[in-house]
Amino acid sequence: MPERKVTVVAEVGLHARPAATFVRAATKAPMDVTVAKVPGGDPINAKSILQILALDVRQDETIVIKAEGKGADEVLDELAKIAGSP
Amino acid sequence: MTTVLAPVEGAAVGLAAVPDPVFSAGMVGPGTAIDPLREPGMAVAPIAGKIMKLHPHAYVIVGDDGRGVLVHLGIDTVQLKGEGFTLLAAEGDRVRAGQPVVAWDPSVVEAGGRSPVCPVVALDAVAGSVWGVAAGTVHVGDELFRWH
Repeated sequence: MPERKVTVVAEVGLHARPAATFVRAATKAPMDVTVAKVPGGDPINAKSILQILALDVRQDETIVIKAEGKGADEVLDELAKIAGSP
Repeated sequence: MTTVLAPVEGAAVGLAAVPDPVFSAGMVGPGTAIDPLREPGMAVAPIAGKIMKLHPHAYVIVGDDGRGVLVHLGIDTVQLKGEGFTLLAAEGDRVRAGQPVVAWDPSVVEAGGRSPVCPVVALDAVAGSVWGVAAGTVHVGDELFRWH
């Protein structure tokens, strides 16, 4: 399955503002999109702001974003860009 | 249906009045915002449930039905790194609606150049599911909005 690993560099982590931007982009995707902390985190639904806030990704933590299907690479590129933005 | 209570005292001003486009455009979710009284106070749980996330400046309570409500105490207050906020509960605690979660002083937030306005947001709510949104003066524990 296509995936992107991204280290979150934003000082606030993947919280309110970046989290909302991330979820909005994920929600537009036609396929399921998951996010997990690496290494070894359980994947959660990238389209749920509740689950993203619960994941509580902090600065310098790395996540893996996964999606499968037509257009998955474009979706993943966009999400990786948002998650990796300072 | 979930009845969401006012976590702080002040004026319900609507999300459009929040000086942060992520909240004012409804990107985090539907709900409203309270412009709080400028005096030391306690922010309470807007619903009964479990404290799923507790930061000094923001918290998420998830009810037994899995619905989550975010309370954000002021805008850009993550930058304060907890200064001026006192936790009155712990992440993972079960709380009743109206139970104090964080003590803070909106006037201190404002004096630091930030807006103390508090978005109260229904997370993952579908469009049109929030109604009966209060306007004007609200006291702690007053009904703020309903979520179908």
